[in-house]
Amino acid sequence: MRGRRWVAGLASLVIAAGGLAAVVPTAAGADAPSQQFPPVNQPGVTPTEINVGGVTSKTNPLGGDYASAFDGVQAYFDMVNSSKDKGVYGRKLKLTSKRDDQLGNNRQEVQGLISEDNVFAVLPVASLLFSGADLLGQSGIPTFGWNINAEWGSEQAPGAPNLFGERGSYTCFTCASQTLPWLAQKLKAKKIGLLAYQVAQSSDCAKGVQAAFDKYSSSKIEFVDTSLAFGVTDLSSDVSQMKDKGVDLVTTCMDNNGTLTLAKEMKKQGLNAVQYLPDAYNQKFISDNAPFFQGSYALTFFTPFELKQKPAGLKNFQKWMKKDGFAQNENSMAGWINADQFVTGLKAAGPDFTRQKVVDAINAEKSYTANGLLAPIDWSIQHQADPPDGCQVLSKVQNGKFVPSFGQPGKPFVCFQLNPLPDQLQSQPTNKS
Amino acid sequence: VSDLINYVILGIPFGCVFALVAVGLVLTYKTSGVFNLAFGAQAFVSAAVFYNTVTNHNWPLLPAFIVSVLIVAPLVGLILDRALYRYLRTAPAVAKLVTSIGLLIAIPEIVKLLPDFDFLQSSVFNPPTIWPNPFAYYHFGDYVLDGNQVATLISTGVAVLFLSVLFRYTTIGLQMRAVVESPRMTELAGINADRVSAFSWMLSSTFAGLAGVLLAPLFAQLSAPNFTILLIAAIAAAAFGRLTSIPLAFLGGILLGVAQGILGGYLPADSILANGLRPSLPFVALFLLLLFWPGLRHRREIVDPLSGVDPPPPGLSAEKRMRLLTYTTWGLGVVVIAVGVYVALFVVSSFWLLIITKAVIFSLIFLSITVITGMAGQISLCQASFAAVGSFGTAQLAQRFDLPVLLTMVIGAAMAAIVGGLLAVPALRLGGIFLALATLAFALMFESIFVPLDWVSGGVLPTKVPRPTFLGSDRTFLLFALALLTVVSIVVILVRKGTTGRYLDALRGSETAATSIGINPARARVVAFALSAGIAGLGGGLLAIQENQANYTANFQVLLGLLWLVIVVTIGARTVEGAVQAGLAIAFVPEILKALGLSPAYQFILFGLGAITYAKHPEGILEYNKRRSLEAVQRFLTRGKQPPGAEGGEVVPARPEPATVGAANPGANR
Repeated sequence: MRGRRWVAGLASLVIAAGGLAAVVPTAAGADAPSQQFPPVNQPGVTPTEINVGGVTSKTNPLGGDYASAFDGVQAYFDMVNSSKDKGVYGRKLKLTSKRDDQLGNNRQEVQGLISEDNVFAVLPVASLLFSGADLLGQSGIPTFGWNINAEWGSEQAPGAPNLFGERGSYTCFTCASQTLPWLAQKLKAKKIGLLAYQVAQSSDCAKGVQAAFDKYSSSKIEFVDTSLAFGVTDLSSDVSQMKDKGVDLVTTCMDNNGTLTLAKEMKKQGLNAVQYLPDAYNQKFISDNAPFFQGSYALTFFTPFELKQKPAGLKNFQKWMKKDGFAQNENSMAGWINADQFVTGLKAAGPDFTRQKVVDAINAEKSYTANGLLAPIDWSIQHQADPPDGCQVLSKVQNGKFVPSFGQPGKPFVCFQLNPLPDQLQSQPTNKS
Repeated sequence: VSDLINYVILGIPFGCVFALVAVGLVLTYKTSGVFNLAFGAQAFVSAAVFYNTVTNHNWPLLPAFIVSVLIVAPLVGLILDRALYRYLRTAPAVAKLVTSIGLLIAIPEIVKLLPDFDFLQSSVFNPPTIWPNPFAYYHFGDYVLDGNQVATLISTGVAVLFLSVLFRYTTIGLQMRAVVESPRMTELAGINADRVSAFSWMLSSTFAGLAGVLLAPLFAQLSAPNFTILLIAAIAAAAFGRLTSIPLAFLGGILLGVAQGILGGYLPADSILANGLRPSLPFVALFLLLLFWPGLRHRREIVDPLSGVDPPPPGLSAEKRMRLLTYTTWGLGVVVIAVGVYVALFVVSSFWLLIITKAVIFSLIFLSITVITGMAGQISLCQASFAAVGSFGTAQLAQRFDLPVLLTMVIGAAMAAIVGGLLAVPALRLGGIFLALATLAFALMFESIFVPLDWVSGGVLPTKVPRPTFLGSDRTFLLFALALLTVVSIVVILVRKGTTGRYLDALRGSETAATSIGINPARARVVAFALSAGIAGLGGGLLAIQENQANYTANFQVLLGLLWLVIVVTIGARTVEGAVQAGLAIAFVPEILKALGLSPAYQFILFGLGAITYAKHPEGILEYNKRRSLEAVQRFLTRGKQPPGAEGGEVVPARPEPATVGAANPGANR
């Protein structure tokens, strides 16, 4: 027993002394399968396994492939379980519960994960509605998911400290940022068109875009329509008006249905404007509709698959997704990052890990990058505020393919000061790896 | 002026889309007497087949079109007629409407489970167009049409012409209309009503298939809800045509498209007016048309004049059973409830506790359907909106004014009751399917206009609802919910047995007769509507407290409200226990399916197909089977004795037989 405590104590000491990024490989290297680890009395943890479960909107009216977040987690676990350590702290990682909230039953399924499934952590959460967020917040269970819901943390309410989105948890929907005004300036676009659905998240996103162009007047918003019904099919009068007003950059807060409908109408009416696509990183979608999206720009918060100089995280992702026969997409990437974040926290928590220790260890991280997949996340602030820099990758659509743009070799992320927001638009972004 | 002309012209192609669907609705109504809300689902079937053959199997367009529109679509119509609607020809229009709602829910899920159609489970972009070159654009001066728009314009025009000629100048057109009016009288004239009816359904289904293939490319993605939304929007155009005039429905569709174009052009973008009116225009138009369009105000539904000779449906089994069985049932009921409560409170995990609590809350909400449908004989498609009013009222009043949440729940219920009463005043004189459509329009207006407002729904985060300290424990909350359900159930029973209930019974039997003895139909129905809305609002508030948030998207969307209706009418809309059993079903059936390793989609098939039994058993499947079992048990217990009831004292006295939804009197639901 004393020996086990010594191992744990050493691990803690090493972590404290060396800093997290440097330590994780060391600690992992020390965890040889033959090594004895202290018993862990935590839900979902056995001497040989650490069980986790997740919930996605597998059944949904939008036809989104949200369940592929499970694939990302599974592929990552396969990688970890087949490494020389055969798991973490002598235990295999197992994704034992895959729940489907069918869009409206998120709270119920989350309750099932908490009280029925005996899981140590919850991952992935890839749900269109995250109504069970408060249950997970109160439970203290480490939770990892795809951050598209305000419940992860927003200007309306900070996120719970145990909820970890794949790109940080906090999102300020209505806040200004420099990205779009800078892109407009870069493209020499003077007149902006803005379209959004008349639903809360979409219209709040539109407020953020308006705030950005109000603050940085390099370009002017000439046309705004935030009254579109979700599932709208007729954008003829919007496009006609944008054409009349000479709009040369169109940005939307809409899903792929909306952006494609818009792109088709723009092509039909001959509106030659660039479309900015905040939510369209889907290779099949883009290649199937290549003529409509030529020259558009898509946004991702992770390194896109097309990057020439791939970071280690992206190489591993592509290798293991291929090996397992899973599709590579935004959702599976989110699941992969969730799993990486979980394992990183688990290793940092030490062999006598608990849920709270995992949460605390992650929240102590100030520069988490998922092995180069993300711009650095500072978990000490990203539950309740924007980070100092807002980073993303902008990819241009060329002949139906995404071409990462504006980055530098090894530094694909385009970053702008975000918190506090400067008064003047940066002339050049900072590029980060 | 040039701008106005521009917006008018831009609106015409989309107006044709509305027109095509509206003409399809009118065609179905004229030829089958069914206001077919499943038209969109039928359209989805052909669109899915067309997609599968063209995109997945690389068929040329023409054979794919022939298979999907000229073979599969009529086949679907034939199946619907042979397996279902031929048995419903003399059923009331409302019963047929409920059946079509069941199909609307079930058909898309059945298609997704078919072999080779599992591709529909994920994103399906770019439905193919029947126009050979999808990237072809045709310039008419300053205006441009794509190939699919040209195809839609041509098809709509041809369809209107063809159908107008068919109904006006051909024998089969006349026969189709006659069969809808009264199949029995038509057969007396030597016409094979079965064959004509089958032809009618095949024709209207072919039209649905054509609409599906033509309209699918309008959407970026192929999905059934898109068709449903478009269909509901197009009902306004059908209403403009009084549900029977094809040329007027066509005109209504064009006007709707043009109105949308003009509003899009002239309303100040990003204004409150634009945000409220543009997305809700079709629903506002439908609501106003139903209330004020002269063609609809005094319109009779298509009903069989001979349906009055049908016997009334049997009464509730509980009102006919022997006293011994009644007491035994009550005793068993008490034991089951006591065991259930004990298990819920002391045995089950938090998860199952949540499921049980959900069942109790939904039982309460479903009592609102018991009142409006089971007692008043009316179909309301906006019960979920009333529940949402209660939920939002509870949340906002507690958040903004710091009022005790139980008080805000009561106020929320009162708000829902007031909204329900106000809606009832103009809408109830419509009756039947027109009332149902008005409530659907109201629900969609509520969803489009009010729900997006932050001060109503809370914005990106649903408004938080604090739970009172004494209800902090989930087990205590369950007890509270059970107590509330008991109180509301008693109120419903008292109302049913009281003056209002008996008035409603009388009105369901014969409005004319009831009015002749001094019953004020409007007053009785407004009371029922307000009570029903209040109960739904109370349930919505309770759900908000239980979940600590008023979450519209998760709980109260219009399409979810349709599912509620089909569950309740499938199980039993006329009794309190029917509502409770429906509450148990909505909570437990998905879990049972999961335990069996089946897709949750089966619940939609199960409940959807269940609803089609409504026309035959308006008392609900469980009530029907309960009555049969009871009769068997009573036969067994009284074998060799006089029939129950013959001695008077053996049987709990039955109330006078209430007629079902308009069955005994064809005009009762107008």
